[in-house]
Amino acid sequence: MALPLTYNFRNLLVRRLSTSLTFFVVTVVVAVLCVLLSFAAGIRASLRASGWPQNVLVLKTGATAESTSIIYPDEAGRIVQTPGIATDSSGQLLLSPELCVQTSVPRIGPDGTPANVAIRGVDRVAFDVHPEVKLIEGRLFEDGAQEVIVGVQARDRYQNLHVGGEVMLGRSTNRVFKVVGVFEAAGGALESEIWSGRTMIADAHNFRFVSSIAVRLEDPARAEEAIRYIKGPAVRMNARTEVDYYDDLSTKTRQIVLLTSILIGIMSVGAIFAVANTMYASVDSRRREIAMLRTIGFSRRSIVTSFLVESLLITLTACLVGIAVSLSVDGSRQDFLSDTTWTVLAYELRVTPEIILSALGLSTLVGLFGGLAPAVRASRTRIIEALRKA
Amino acid sequence: MSTVDIELRKVRKVYFKDRLEIPVLEGLDLTIAAGEFVVLMGPSGSGKSTLLHLIGGLDSATGGSVRVGDAHLEKMSERERTAWRSRHVGFIFQMYHLVPVLTAAQNVELPLLLFSMSSSQRKERVRTALEVVGLSDRADHRPNQLSGGQEQRVAIARAIVTDPDVILADEPTGDLDAKTSEEILELLNLLNSEFGKTILMVTHDPRAASHGQRTVHLDKGVLDREELNPARPRGAAAMVS
Ligand SMILES: Nc1ncnc2c1ncn2[C@@H]1O[C@H](COP(=O)(O)OP(=O)(O)O)[C@@H](O)[C@H]1O
Ligand SMILES: [Mg+2]
Repeated sequence: MALPLTYNFRNLLVRRLSTSLTFFVVTVVVAVLCVLLSFAAGIRASLRASGWPQNVLVLKTGATAESTSIIYPDEAGRIVQTPGIATDSSGQLLLSPELCVQTSVPRIGPDGTPANVAIRGVDRVAFDVHPEVKLIEGRLFEDGAQEVIVGVQARDRYQNLHVGGEVMLGRSTNRVFKVVGVFEAAGGALESEIWSGRTMIADAHNFRFVSSIAVRLEDPARAEEAIRYIKGPAVRMNARTEVDYYDDLSTKTRQIVLLTSILIGIMSVGAIFAVANTMYASVDSRRREIAMLRTIGFSRRSIVTSFLVESLLITLTACLVGIAVSLSVDGSRQDFLSDTTWTVLAYELRVTPEIILSALGLSTLVGLFGGLAPAVRASRTRIIEALRKA
Repeated sequence: MSTVDIELRKVRKVYFKDRLEIPVLEGLDLTIAAGEFVVLMGPSGSGKSTLLHLIGGLDSATGGSVRVGDAHLEKMSERERTAWRSRHVGFIFQMYHLVPVLTAAQNVELPLLLFSMSSSQRKERVRTALEVVGLSDRADHRPNQLSGGQEQRVAIARAIVTDPDVILADEPTGDLDAKTSEEILELLNLLNSEFGKTILMVTHDPRAASHGQRTVHLDKGVLDREELNPARPRGAAAMVS
């Protein structure tokens, strides 16, 4: 049987200052890790909730985002021959031409700084192509009326976007649109948008084109075939599944993860040194105690184990505190300014189980790497010399 | 009564320091009968502690043989000696070497953690050991709350809690005043006479020596003479050969 945990625990308390400093360092590393990764996880979760594998988003060749894509009506007509397009009960093809613009709306909050909100002009068919969009309050906009419905995230973050409120739209931001409803979209990116009738938006901006066409297929398995057709000579437009499209928008999260990894890597090295330093000091001041344990019959291995347990005790409890700290931001809301669409996506920070696991893994590694050399030194204590009178 | 005797034959111990040979023991012979209480005396630096360490398996001899009961220590690896120590030897040092963060009872319990034993069995053993050394009422005290004599009693309880055959004591009263020393020596006497432990004790103090059945003198690497203590006759005959 090994040395009891109380033994390690009390020894840590003896060297209170050194232990708490190291504890603090590891706590900070873990908290930074969790918070930064929760940004990435939040954005990714929001974008992942967006898009269907059987929806193909058609853009102008060369455009990577709806905001930079322009499709004229004659071009739009070419895609009706695309194989595998789903139909509704009345036999209408599920093709949704959509016009994306933006407008600046002040945020809710003391400073009320304005931000770009995405406006999507849609036809009725859009609600069949994006079945996740569900009205939760009020009613739908009427054709030909200056009315909008707003996503829940947009309503909660911008001024005057509740039902009965108003928003200024149009080329010279001079047309008043009334908010008549609020919708959800399964937590996806659409919830950060404002929707209105496509013709009303086109009128307000004097645009005669659409930005994109969302095509709903009968079966996700046919997406590849459909995309090949649209990219081919018959249509010559850019096409991707919505899932891929939103995945690409989340490249930013990959950068966050990469930068976090680098930062945490550097901080972890510091933490390892802090742990090693604390443990070396502990080993050196306990040489006689170690020699006594060896005399009693504790093996080298049990000494190594005991000191590793001691350093893991620091790093893992610090990890728990770091996770607890980061959980305080869990669920808090953030804006993500997409640099491809220049509109703001709302998302919630998420401390996911994966993040917690990686924090625990990191703390374990820091404890092991920091503790190993001191533990080995402890196990090599020369019994006889250490037992001699100081 | 312990059945473990000790036999050293032609034991040599050479330390190396800066490539220099420091011979400490040079062909030493010693036989200690089972259940005997032997006192080891000699000038400082003569190798008394070294001899104790060899018998306890803390170090290995450069030459010769060291047998404790069935254990031929010179043939055992470091790892084997470590495991052997935990069952067969109890050490008592001048410096006590208690773990400061643990209570008296927890210090005494330490050696038992190497045995497969239930926690209640361990508690029972610890209680008995503390009773033997007369410290039942100090079980929950930390070492810094104890006097030197009490600390040494805890160390003795720790040495006997595994019921070892042999007790090796290196100047156990070196840091204690005369009265406390006497109490500690009485305790060792008790362990020898009542519990039949084989004891080898190093001391500088002639009065301490009077507690043993026999005193051997170490000088210049060998045991050069011995005296029997007429006040404490012993059963088995054992001689420096
Ligand atoms: N590890 C060592 N390296 C070198 N010399 C040592 C070592 N340990 C002990 N010695 C030497 O061996 C001699 C005997 O030491 P020791 O057994 O402690 O003597 P005693 O206990 O009789 O005072 C001393 O001269 C001491 O300096
Ligand atoms: Mg000595």
